[in-house]
Amino acid sequence: MAWEVILWIIFFIINMVLIASNLYQIVCLSDLESDYMNPYESSSRINAVVVPEMVLHGVCSVLLLVTGYWFMFLLTLPIAIYNSMLYMNKQHLIDVTEVFRYVDAEKKYRIAKLAVYLFLFILVVIRSMIAGKFSTILEPFHPTNEDLDILSHVLEF
Amino acid sequence: MGTENPNRVNTYPGPTPTPFAAPRSNMPISSSHPVVGSEASAFRPTSVPATLTTPFSSPGPTVGSGTPGFRPMQPGRPTPSYGPPTTGPTQRFPTPQFPSAAQPSMPPTSGVGQPIFPPTMRPPPPGHVPPMSTSLNRHPPPAPMGSPPQSLYSVSSRPNMQQPTPPTGPPSSLPGYIQSNTVTSPPPPPPPGSHQGGYTPQPIASSPFSSNQVGYTPQPTTSSPFPSNQGGYTPQPTASSPFSSNQGGYAPQPTASSPSHQGGYPPQPAAAAPFSSHQGAYGQPPPGASQPGMYAGGSAPPMGAMAGGLVEDFSSLSLGSTPGSFDVGLDSKVLPRPLDGDVEPTAFAGMYPMNCDSRFLRLTTSAIPNSQSLVSRWQLPLGAVVCPLAEAPEGEEVPIVNFATTGIVRCRRCRTYVNPYVTFTDGGRKWRCNICALLNDVQNDYFAHLDATGKRVDLDQHPELTKGSVEFVAPAEYMVRPPMPPLYFFLIDVSISAVKSGMLEVMAQTIKSCLDKLPGSPRTQIGFITFDSTIHFYNMKSSLTQPQMMVVSDLDDIFVPLPDDLLVNLSDSRPVVEAFLDSLPSMFQDNVNVESAFGPALKAAFMVMSQLGGKLLIFQSTLPSLGVGRLRLRGDDLRVYGTDKEHALRIPEDPFYKQMAADFTKFQVAVNIYAFSDKYTDIASLGTLAKYTGGQVYYYPSFHSAIHTEKLRHELARDLTRETAWEAVMRIRCGKGVRFTSYHGNFMLRSTDLLALPAVDCDKAYAMQFALEETLLTTQIVYFQVALLYTASCGERRIRVHTAAASVVADLGEMYRQADTGAIVSLLGRLAIEKSLTYKLEDARNAIQLRIVKALKEYRKLHAVQHRVGNRMIYPESLKYLSLYGLSLCKSTALRGGYADAQLDERCAAGFTMMALPVKKMLKLLYPSLLRVDEYLVKAPRVDGEFERICKRLPLVAESLDSRGIYIFDDGFRFVVWFGRMLSPDLARNLVDEDSSASDFSKSQVCLNERENELSRKLMGILKRLREGDASYYQLCHLVRQGEQPREDPSTSPAIISTRGTSNQIHEFEFIFITV
Repeated sequence: MAWEVILWIIFFIINMVLIASNLYQIVCLSDLESDYMNPYESSSRINAVVVPEMVLHGVCSVLLLVTGYWFMFLLTLPIAIYNSMLYMNKQHLIDVTEVFRYVDAEKKYRIAKLAVYLFLFILVVIRSMIAGKFSTILEPFHPTNEDLDILSHVLEF
Repeated sequence: MGTENPNRVNTYPGPTPTPFAAPRSNMPISSSHPVVGSEASAFRPTSVPATLTTPFSSPGPTVGSGTPGFRPMQPGRPTPSYGPPTTGPTQRFPTPQFPSAAQPSMPPTSGVGQPIFPPTMRPPPPGHVPPMSTSLNRHPPPAPMGSPPQSLYSVSSRPNMQQPTPPTGPPSSLPGYIQSNTVTSPPPPPPPGSHQGGYTPQPIASSPFSSNQVGYTPQPTTSSPFPSNQGGYTPQPTASSPFSSNQGGYAPQPTASSPSHQGGYPPQPAAAAPFSSHQGAYGQPPPGASQPGMYAGGSAPPMGAMAGGLVEDFSSLSLGSTPGSFDVGLDSKVLPRPLDGDVEPTAFAGMYPMNCDSRFLRLTTSAIPNSQSLVSRWQLPLGAVVCPLAEAPEGEEVPIVNFATTGIVRCRRCRTYVNPYVTFTDGGRKWRCNICALLNDVQNDYFAHLDATGKRVDLDQHPELTKGSVEFVAPAEYMVRPPMPPLYFFLIDVSISAVKSGMLEVMAQTIKSCLDKLPGSPRTQIGFITFDSTIHFYNMKSSLTQPQMMVVSDLDDIFVPLPDDLLVNLSDSRPVVEAFLDSLPSMFQDNVNVESAFGPALKAAFMVMSQLGGKLLIFQSTLPSLGVGRLRLRGDDLRVYGTDKEHALRIPEDPFYKQMAADFTKFQVAVNIYAFSDKYTDIASLGTLAKYTGGQVYYYPSFHSAIHTEKLRHELARDLTRETAWEAVMRIRCGKGVRFTSYHGNFMLRSTDLLALPAVDCDKAYAMQFALEETLLTTQIVYFQVALLYTASCGERRIRVHTAAASVVADLGEMYRQADTGAIVSLLGRLAIEKSLTYKLEDARNAIQLRIVKALKEYRKLHAVQHRVGNRMIYPESLKYLSLYGLSLCKSTALRGGYADAQLDERCAAGFTMMALPVKKMLKLLYPSLLRVDEYLVKAPRVDGEFERICKRLPLVAESLDSRGIYIFDDGFRFVVWFGRMLSPDLARNLVDEDSSASDFSKSQVCLNERENELSRKLMGILKRLREGDASYYQLCHLVRQGEQPREDPSTSPAIISTRGTSNQIHEFEFIFITV
């Protein structure tokens, strides 16, 4: 079960990074809106993290798929598809020249993404708690934890 | 007819019935009160019957059914309208009607007869309602089908007869006629009966129709009626006559109502003013009701005259109309043509005399709506077109104010600059900001006592307090760095095509000839880079006698070989620069390089310029093929057109260009593109550089020095020598509750409301849209203030401030009345071009049409109730030309057709150009002037003023072209000189080389050279004079001989085809309106 704990920790970290990156982008955009930052700086900052974020998200999705967590994989799938679509159309980067026209939409998109990641985050936390606490940490103390296993099965979507 | 109208009504029933009805009904009532005044009260009691009568009367005549039909339309949509609308309209009508019914006898008769009918009438419409659907419109029931033709016939036959009559008759004869009408009105009752019968009305219908049309036709065609139309809006003397005639006929006091119409705009509160006009309109309907009777009576001549008179009233009420027949052969002369060019709304200026001139700032409507709902009903864009540096004629230059000691006086909170609308209080110690209403202290240095009227005693010494446009000299706090010197940098393509076309030589000569006139001497800086497959830098150090050329061939890692001396002070290095320009053409005359390392060269130029900023002029004649930013051939694939991928051809292919544009703007570099290629050069990508840096695109397809020399020389010289504002930013402030939301033009947004403009000049205009932030505006006046902070060529930092005020209204009709077609068209065009970058061309065109249709429909809803505007299109006087311009927009190079109708490059170039055009030039481009000059050439002596007298603008329809004439067609960008087929050979021989006249005519372009005879000199004189009238572009001459050119149409002279197409197209277009 140890690999599962490690896995969940990895997911946890990835998720944190994704959330942080999204927050950062949202802050940049709202700074831009309220004129604390000029468009050049704002868009170059955002553009710097866009691709890494996409890659990270892809990695996360693939990991979930490979490890067989279907439900969570499906959760991440829409964003992954949307990301790849943006990338194919070369629309993933913020366009400095037209940034003000799209700033609202970009912000909304990122907020939506943030919401998904937060939801994912909650799941990951729960799962990692289950995986860590009940399966491995508590195991030595409760050699026969049938009931807990049932619980974990319930939580295992 | 009767049946048809109901159908219409039904069709209209669109989705939003109730909303409109409610507001409308309120408005009319309120408005009616003020207008009618005492009389109204007197009549009101009777008004109830009146209401009955109106519906009735209208139905009674054939048209009658139409009226009811319209009513529904107006309120909003048919079905619901019947309930509410009937009441609404009726209420409205009563008051107006009575005034109109000035003759006491009138109302009673009509009222009595009609009350019975109304009930009968109404039921039918409801019945119709359910079936209504759009399909009905298209395929009206049998009745309509029959009637339309009749109307057509009548139209064709009548106009001649009646046109004469209206002018003579109106004032005096009208009353008489009216009475006769009333007398005759009893007959109408029968028609009502027939009405119910259904189709019988048709014959009747035709006659009314015809009379209507007759009435309307005269307006546009004959000059006299026309003035009457405009009279409503512009206080012309002629205007009064129509009015008086109307009222004389219907209302006892002509004065009461007429003043309200004319004078109404400025003085009256917004609500009242619209009303007055309405009222006029309302008043008329009753006559209309009685008219049916007349019509029914048949085609008696007097009747016709009557109709003419009535129609005139109508028009004077700002309800211009055109016969909307189903006949394609409609007389195109009926349609309004903007032959006077751009007519700026005068009421606005009259109301706020301290506003800046309309050449600087034009609002799409100078009546600002006070609520969101009003905004959504005003279907047109709400915004402004700003041309901050527009050329002012002699004597009207913008005054320069220097607050040397006090610093610029601005509001503490909203940073508004002091302007004529601020008020001084507290004995002159405080001033109240007109935009945010904050009370600011007046600095000691700026203090002046107030006189008895509350004005500063030193008002005459402060142009900033009396003029809407001023220029402040900005102190050091408005600079982030020392003001930059004017800087011109040239990036020149020297590949084989540039050399072969002769571009290089012309360009070098032109630059050399302009060196003396470059602004900002002696601080002006200049530099050059040339490129083909390598990049050539030139060291112009003043100590050298010849420029040193340095070649960089490493395109992947661009570096600047010399830190300084690539950009030199012109006055210091003048000899070197001249030597360079002299030798430039010969240096590369044997160049056979076909490659173009444009991207790397651009980067090199950027590195050189980024220290200072300035203006970068790019001369490009080959598709960039090497290094970063290389482009490929696009647009060859026919299959892409009409699909969702079509728009991709009109946006830059490589993000490199957008990124470069952003970088250029950041470092205050403006890019002007001169493109010369005869092949595809991807203007869409190159133009992006100009678009985001406040530059401009000049496109000379298939440049050849034999043809285009003059054009390039003139336009390059103008670009180099016109007054330019450097490193500018522009912001427009407006009062509380209003906010600018989007900006359209060539610039880049630096923050949400700050336009970065590395270089601005008089030929650039910017459009912007605003929205209401609050649901209801509480202020009476909204102020707009445009501030442009820039560095003048002389090195002074300045702020140009334009202030304008506009009143807030609660009435939609007033908004329409104060609309400014020029600004609306300009804004619509920009929106459509932007739309074409993300959607199909067709979508962009549809968007324009839809907006115009919606707007006119909305307007119709305002007015149709009380008029039997059966098949006619109605529109406010101010938007008389809107549909025409809308059509022209759709047919403009940037938006028209599909793949074959315009080269991709030409389309993109036109798009970039139109995005920057000031209103006047835009309108000229959309509706070019057509002048017949042969008469002037042959007969007229050379006298001042004679030209204007003889050569008047002609409508752009095929009928205007007489095969015996010579015409000049001028759209501001080129001339087409059109020789008729039957033109006397002598004339042609005198003007064009004999040998060329026969054969070379087939060439699309022949340079007209001045020849040794009077005629030729005269013609050249005309062209010169026309060019002087508009110096921003050089109009190249194209010769077209009627019929001789197989391709007389699209490519060589799209202009002519548009003249051909216009009449029919317009019909179609208006047909849309009519059938809506």
